[in-house]
Amino acid sequence: MEYLSSDKILIVDLTASRTSEDEVNGDLVAERIGGAGLAKSLYEKYESDDPIVLSTGQLTGTLYPASSLGIISARSPRTGKLCHTPFTLTAGIELKYAGFDYVVIKGTSSNPVYLWIHDGVADIADASELWGRDVWNTTDFWRKNLGDDLIQTLVIGPAGETGSDWAQVCLNYWTGGDRFGIGKAFGNKKLKGVALRGMGLLEIADPEGFVDRCLNLLTSLKNGAAAGKQGIGPVCAAMGHPEIQDWLASLVHRHKACYNTPYAANTFVYLDEDPTIRTEPKTDEPGLLITEPYSLIGMHRLGLSAEQACRLLRSCARYGIDPVAVAELSEKAGTKDPKAIEEGFATLSGTPTLPGSGVFSPCTPLQPVFGDFGISGDPSGFHGWWERRQAVAYIFGIDPLFALMSPEITEGNLLELTNVGAELELSQETLDAVIADLME
Amino acid sequence: MGVKIDALKCVGCMACEMACGYHRDDGFAFLSACIVAYRGREKKDYFGVLLKEEENLVVARPEGLEVKRIGAVEESGGEKKQEDASAKPMLLREPCDLCEQMPYGPMCEKFCPVNAITVE
Repeated sequence: MEYLSSDKILIVDLTASRTSEDEVNGDLVAERIGGAGLAKSLYEKYESDDPIVLSTGQLTGTLYPASSLGIISARSPRTGKLCHTPFTLTAGIELKYAGFDYVVIKGTSSNPVYLWIHDGVADIADASELWGRDVWNTTDFWRKNLGDDLIQTLVIGPAGETGSDWAQVCLNYWTGGDRFGIGKAFGNKKLKGVALRGMGLLEIADPEGFVDRCLNLLTSLKNGAAAGKQGIGPVCAAMGHPEIQDWLASLVHRHKACYNTPYAANTFVYLDEDPTIRTEPKTDEPGLLITEPYSLIGMHRLGLSAEQACRLLRSCARYGIDPVAVAELSEKAGTKDPKAIEEGFATLSGTPTLPGSGVFSPCTPLQPVFGDFGISGDPSGFHGWWERRQAVAYIFGIDPLFALMSPEITEGNLLELTNVGAELELSQETLDAVIADLME
Repeated sequence: MGVKIDALKCVGCMACEMACGYHRDDGFAFLSACIVAYRGREKKDYFGVLLKEEENLVVARPEGLEVKRIGAVEESGGEKKQEDASAKPMLLREPCDLCEQMPYGPMCEKFCPVNAITVE
């Protein structure tokens, strides 16, 4: 793969403590396109070693709007099936620019380790000193000791190390889209996490043709249904929970977008500083970034104040546990005291709901958000539409939440841009076949 | 004519940085962009934009703009203080040329999804 690609697959054998590299096979791209489509092939190739596959889409890290997505594909400890879960913010692009489109992590280490992937180099490093630390301490440790504040991390906390079914792979400091307990899969491999940093270059087959089309698409998106909106509050409102926005409002500091994503879906709240200040806060850890809507909705349903809820969410992030599961299981158990909930992280039990078919993480609303996709009726009937929309996002590397906001992003447009940018001849039939295979 | 940045509107998406990198390298890369999303204080949610001009470094912070003359020595608490080593990667880059030879005009402005960048 010459274009829009690092052309490299990293194979990490944790059992043998060894890494190797493979090229991205052009025939495989023609058949599987990329992202979750190709990651599934890699998963099947190494299935006997229970692999975790990190991947990026063909468009990840380009000027295509919302091309922020990285994907973790692995067997879910919660469902026992192959699943795909997103990593966004800037971690997805950091993987590609670190020099690898795909990373296969197979086997199990005998001692705690982490992967340090940077500028085409991959190291398996000892993590004994980190085992037992929480998510925030671990990311701080890597950024300080590896010497770069912009290192992006996929990291587990105590939940993952101790085998919680609701352990999350967190992004830097924040809980993310992992609703499948992949944090436990990391812990089972004695893998504390992956640190990513890279300054590579992606060549484009037809630079002007590609960028022209990206700009035209962005122009239409800027006039689209999401225009003028920001933050997680409007997303909750679109899901039928308008009360969340007012409930949270007094804590909101700023909103933040994932890489090149026209909607700033992530909301930062301040808990220990005045949210209205614009200067650099005096405290090092004034709040947290909220990256998905379900945790807020769940905490609100517990009857907590917004501040109590956000403090609890911050504790979830440090411990590396899925806050959506925490909220739902606490509600089912009748536990509504935040302190008691936090003290019960280690012994949390029950069976939280997991909407969808278990293939793509249900961290995004199972319905259109803002945008008119020409579907209507009972939202419970939208699941088929949602699964396909997520499949497309996970194949090409598009932010899976933004994919639900933007009818302007069509399958035809994604295929066209991939063909123009990467000199491919992908067809709708190929895309249909990859989606069908992912849904099996 | 120059690039103007409203850091309070900025959502830290780095589209400007990538668009600038494309202008420099005819590919997708961040290394040579003269406009950079400043995002090193993630836990504080303190972010903005840096722009290298011919003679100035523009620091667009949420609380306002600061323009520093490149190479100038600042007096701080009675001590003379030049840019520290961490500024070097930015200072080594080519200055903003307003994308003179691009058909679109300044790429950072065109690709900013929230119109935080204007050209005046």
